[in-house]
Amino acid sequence: MIQLRWARLAAAVIATVVVASAAGCNVEPQERRDAEIRARETGWRGIVLENPPKKPSFVLEAADGRPFDFRAETDGYTTFLFFGYTSCPDVCPVHMASLAAVRRDLPVELQRSMKVVFVTTDPERDTPERIHSWLANFDPDFVGLTGSKAVVDSIQLSLGLPPSIYEDPDENGFYIVGHASQVLAFSPDGSIRVIYPFGTRQSDWIHDIPKLAAAAD
Amino acid sequence: MGLQWWCSAQATPWSWSWRPYPGVWLFVIVLAVAFVLLARGSGDAGRRRGWAMAGLLTLWLALDWPIGALGGGYLASVHMLQYLLIALLAPALLLLGVPDIAWARLGESRALRVFRLITHPLVTLAVFQVVLVWTHLPAVVDSLMATQSGSFLIDVLWLTAGLLFWWPVIAPVPDRERFGPPLKMGYLFLATVLNTLPYAFLTFGETSYYGIFELAPPVGRISARQDQQIAGLLMKVGGGIILWTAITILWFRWYNRDAAAGDQPVAPPTS
Repeated sequence: MIQLRWARLAAAVIATVVVASAAGCNVEPQERRDAEIRARETGWRGIVLENPPKKPSFVLEAADGRPFDFRAETDGYTTFLFFGYTSCPDVCPVHMASLAAVRRDLPVELQRSMKVVFVTTDPERDTPERIHSWLANFDPDFVGLTGSKAVVDSIQLSLGLPPSIYEDPDENGFYIVGHASQVLAFSPDGSIRVIYPFGTRQSDWIHDIPKLAAAAD
Repeated sequence: MGLQWWCSAQATPWSWSWRPYPGVWLFVIVLAVAFVLLARGSGDAGRRRGWAMAGLLTLWLALDWPIGALGGGYLASVHMLQYLLIALLAPALLLLGVPDIAWARLGESRALRVFRLITHPLVTLAVFQVVLVWTHLPAVVDSLMATQSGSFLIDVLWLTAGLLFWWPVIAPVPDRERFGPPLKMGYLFLATVLNTLPYAFLTFGETSYYGIFELAPPVGRISARQDQQIAGLLMKVGGGIILWTAITILWFRWYNRDAAAGDQPVAPPTS
């Protein structure tokens, strides 16, 4: 009787391990598979647009209060443009933290040739000071911009992104802003535009940034 | 967001609001009932009960909110703390808590032959190391931790491998006369050496390896790579503390036993 109990227990443990091991071996996150397939097919981990519109031209207020002409100030730089907000609980801080970590790991010349531009989709809460201090948590060289919601929405539409949506505030007045979750990347000469959706790993950025930077040569 | 039965990765921001994980409670209760059943008719239940309760408490703390939830999908360092508690600390305490009557029953069982094979120190050390490495591979962590069943599997594998690992050191059955204190200390020392590879992989890696933690909503201001480095250090230092504590205890027991044997009066020679 005792022998039977031990045998049953051992069989149950072995069966669980075998079944679950098989399941674990075969599962790969979808985003990883997509990025690897793209890398094999195109050489890029991000999504390269075939006929991208020109690098947009707009002027918004920088966190230090001066006007920032996006096209002029990013000309000659590998540029990453992201629309988000500082109260964002998930996508925005993850993207900013990833880009900051990647930038720290790049050779100095690539660091200097890279600009990250963050445009707030929540201008009511995101004052220039707040954007400045929030971005400084990640990288003090990141550029933060603000403008009226109507202007920011029109810039997003010109880039093929949906305008941001404000959800109803909760009892504490906190509200979520729905916005595009991808980062747009431009080569220094503005000829290549690559989209990095949420789920892009730091290793993906590290793979693509030298290629983006070299695209101007 | 619906109720989760086991801690796994979530796409939602971390919150310090308590969350229930009924699967964890059920798991710990089932183990507790198993211990009560094992101890039936045992005279040493009181002595062993403390160890068993400490083991169950360690397991519960490691699996439930907040450690289980943070390690399930937010911080690699807390995931590593879970590993230390589930695979190294709890199994040792649970084995110390097994009542003598249960060991005696196993010793009389015909299943002992199977146990003699699967608890051979070379087998247990190999199994433990394979589980250690496999459950820390980025592809495995990223795929399994994304689901509750996958996360459950990792925890069960850790506990099973930990029980096997400590078996030759703690369990009195099967009797291994030649595997005395010196070999047990060597066995544990080897384990401290073998975890150097995953420790170095995590601590000195040039990028963060785990997408599940890298892309998780942030907790505090720690970067994904710093978090991973802390995880590597925890593996080495935390694991080292547990294993070296066990080595030290074994050494003192061995020393005291030999000292006691040396104090025995020598029998006079007989003619």
